[in-house]
Amino acid sequence: MNRIGKRYVPFMKAGVQTLIAYRLNFFGFVIGGLIYCIVMFYLWKAVYDSAGGDSFLGFTMTEMVVYLFLANTTTQLTYSTVSGDIGDEIKDGSISMRMIKPVDMDWSYLFTELGAAFMKVVVLLIPVTVGLEIYRYCMLGEVMFRPLNFLLYFLSVILAYIISFRVNLCFGFVAFYVKNLWGFNILKNSIINFLSGSLIPLAFMPDVMRTILEYMPFASMGYTPVMIYMGKYSAYETAFRLGIQIVWAAVMFGISKLIWIGAVKKLSVQGG
Amino acid sequence: MIYAEHLRKEFKKVVKDPGLKGSFKSLFKPKKEIVVAADDVSFHVPKGEMLGFIGPNGAGKSTVIKMLTGILTPTSGQCRINGKNPQTDRKKYVREIGVVFGQRTQLWWDLPLRETYSVLKEIYEVDDDRFKKRMAFLNEVLDLEDFMSSPVRTLSLGQRMRADIAASMLHSPKVLFLDEPTIGLDVVVKDNIRKAIMKINKEEQTTVILTTHDISDIELLCDRIVMIDKGKNVYEGSLRQLKEKYGNIRELNFETAPGFSLTEDEFRSGLELGEDKMTVEKDKNIFKVRFDSTEMPVGEMLNYTLSHAKVKDISFKEADVEEIIRRLYKQGECENE
Repeated sequence: MNRIGKRYVPFMKAGVQTLIAYRLNFFGFVIGGLIYCIVMFYLWKAVYDSAGGDSFLGFTMTEMVVYLFLANTTTQLTYSTVSGDIGDEIKDGSISMRMIKPVDMDWSYLFTELGAAFMKVVVLLIPVTVGLEIYRYCMLGEVMFRPLNFLLYFLSVILAYIISFRVNLCFGFVAFYVKNLWGFNILKNSIINFLSGSLIPLAFMPDVMRTILEYMPFASMGYTPVMIYMGKYSAYETAFRLGIQIVWAAVMFGISKLIWIGAVKKLSVQGG
Repeated sequence: MIYAEHLRKEFKKVVKDPGLKGSFKSLFKPKKEIVVAADDVSFHVPKGEMLGFIGPNGAGKSTVIKMLTGILTPTSGQCRINGKNPQTDRKKYVREIGVVFGQRTQLWWDLPLRETYSVLKEIYEVDDDRFKKRMAFLNEVLDLEDFMSSPVRTLSLGQRMRADIAASMLHSPKVLFLDEPTIGLDVVVKDNIRKAIMKINKEEQTTVILTTHDISDIELLCDRIVMIDKGKNVYEGSLRQLKEKYGNIRELNFETAPGFSLTEDEFRSGLELGEDKMTVEKDKNIFKVRFDSTEMPVGEMLNYTLSHAKVKDISFKEADVEEIIRRLYKQGECENE
């Protein structure tokens, strides 16, 4: 572990330093997410106002706000740019430079990204959680924060991130075959956004569809942690959902390893 | 040390008809064509040798280097380096090699140069003591101190290349692959880089494979050359052999005294050498004669010239490698046609 750490931690440091070098870009990303949340807030407010009554499909307005901000934060936390990174590196050929280093490709990408993930926890998750708890306190008049739920949420986010990373890695390796990944990435992002419930809660979907989606890896990438945080799951269900996440993480890990073995033979570095 | 056996690499390429119409056509019905970038390339490099790998643009040099470094998987054939197969043992294998692609960089683009080296130190598990000595050595030969703290993206091409070479040598690799390490550099930097390569080869018996278009790189550094063209081996042998085989060309330069008139044909008329054995160029009163010294010994040519012309200045020159390689390229083209 120590040796692995020593070898890959530099990738993490480099990830953080790159992020700091382009910090404006990073803050643009965060602020863009917040603006999106605010727009969605007004949209849902209009829905609740016209529906009348406190609750809409089992979500009160307060819960909806928590869901909205938390789902968006979770999506950003688990968002992985690795497929785009691999796509770019293949397009410009710089993937060669990664391959001549004595490191595993997946781990080197993971650690480069972990740097950014750590930054996101600090500048995004903590402020948003504090903000939401203050909001809930103001609206409901009592402290709703449950440390256990938060810890389970965090655990679930880590699992969600692992799944998201592996899914993106698989997409990235597709670039070995198709050379340019831009269109694929847009398709992938819209599918994930919709099916992971970051756009609308899966609870709002028809029963059959919801049940199917809840078992798919996409729900594990965003919906599950948010529902855990909000205390929507019983203890038993929480354990069950975490179990599904673990299964998907393992499955995606296996698939990405298999794709890599095939993909590396197909690599053709363009130019130079 | 390095064995390459019948390496072949094919790429699929989508061929597009010209124009917008062609683009649409290839969108729905792509026409694929197989391009052979390397075809039956074999050679062997013993430990400690510096091998020059040359060939015109697009000959497949980089493709071969990429197969040797484990980046590309050959379509057929195989290579073994230090007893390892670059494709199957990639992680273990690359630990023992250093690679520089002149058109790319392995430095962390956004980090100060110093950071890149400490990152590489960890990746290659170089211990502190060794790292310090190594950095001092590289600093001395490549003169990195001035820009150690600058982010890599702000370095000039020459600085970046020196830094890249240093990065490839940091972990004392057994084999060094240098793909056009002197591309686009000025004479002073080229000289620095060559010295560094020579020094490391001498002190550590590092095996070096070098591709370049700069013939002086080859002349100064390489013991032996492999030349490929259109993906195929065209020549393999030592530079001396090459010179012996093709280097019997001599160049005679002389300047006639003022007032003395001599035309090319007049000069040529006394000799029975055909166009292919001798060429004569004249610029005002300066003559440039290239001839085959096996057909006409240098001494005879000197006597002939002195007796037929009033000479103010005269010199003989051995043909340089550049000239030989130009001939070799030409010959290859003829054979292919």
